[in-house]
Amino acid sequence: MNRYQFEDLISEYIENELSLSKRKEFETYLEENPDARGLVESIRTNMAQMKTIPKVIVSPDFNDRLLARIQSDHTRLDIPITSQRTIFGFTPIYASLMTGLVIAFVFVSIQLVSPADGGIPSQTQFYAEDSVPSLSNPPLQNVKNRTPDLADADADSSLENNKIKSKKDFSKQMHFVND
Amino acid sequence: MMKQNSFNLSDISLDKQKAPFVYTDEQLIARFQAGDENAYIELVNRFRDRLINFVFQFLGDREQSEDVVQDTMLKLYVKKHYYREIAKFSTWIYTIARNLANTELRKRKRRKTTLLSQMTRDERDYDLPAIQPEIGQEVQSEFAEKRIQAAIHALPEHFKTVIILRDIQELSYDDISSIVNVPLGTVKSRINRARLQLQVDLKDLR
Repeated sequence: MNRYQFEDLISEYIENELSLSKRKEFETYLEENPDARGLVESIRTNMAQMKTIPKVIVSPDFNDRLLARIQSDHTRLDIPITSQRTIFGFTPIYASLMTGLVIAFVFVSIQLVSPADGGIPSQTQFYAEDSVPSLSNPPLQNVKNRTPDLADADADSSLENNKIKSKKDFSKQMHFVND
Repeated sequence: MMKQNSFNLSDISLDKQKAPFVYTDEQLIARFQAGDENAYIELVNRFRDRLINFVFQFLGDREQSEDVVQDTMLKLYVKKHYYREIAKFSTWIYTIARNLANTELRKRKRRKTTLLSQMTRDERDYDLPAIQPEIGQEVQSEFAEKRIQAAIHALPEHFKTVIILRDIQELSYDDISSIVNVPLGTVKSRINRARLQLQVDLKDLR
């Protein structure tokens, strides 16, 4: 055992917490080093003296003053006592705030993730579903009886465009003077 | 006497017979949490002297120590529902007292710094006279006590707390570990080193 190991074990030796083998080793070191024995005795004396330090006691009117303080602060103390009712560990104010935030978050998440499927359709979507026909081909039996729709309108407009183009295309009608 | 959040001084008796010592600290706080004000008084009676001794070692002033213990007991009254029976009641109340004592020490340090900065150079050079030992057994013993208290007071904070709890308050290592919130091995090591440090500081006493 060296000096550091000895110093580390002093308290355990004094308080009888060393194992038998360690205790024997410690006592062998003490026999070989008289100054170490002096150190242990000195610490033992200090510990005993600390226990004899006169105890401080509270003044006789301690309880009366304490109760008077509690009584005087009673109106103020009532607030924390009543607010100590909790919902899952949260005070009612925080619990309601948290609930509101969670509901808002869930609502916004639903809107963002699936606006067409599950969400409330917007005003434009209502109009679009009512007036605009589907872009897929209609069933064959309906083709004969079908009313003019956007496809026809597109065809009409393309004819008119061709007419305008043909009207404006004067290249074939141009003749050079020298020819 | 069971009451729900009602407080009336006339109903409260400080007579120990009404809250006998058969209850453990944990049972008493449970009764107090259920509304029994007598259990609170019993807890105050049990811990007031132990706590003032503990706090006094930090502050060294009886009046201030008593104020801190009053604050501790007031906090116990207000925050009674914060105690959960996962730790011993004694460790919980010691922790509150220790935190309040530390707050008081910080306030004191701040005040001292402010006062020093306001002093003139001549005022700052003034030294307090050293306490001289006088002849007589009683006086010598008083002197020794003061030296020991001064030596404890001079220890670093983490040594001071554990040595007070162990050698003056005589708490178990487990309780100290819970109060200072460090592992048991660290507590043992700190106590040993604090004792060695005290031995060096008090060498000339013998």
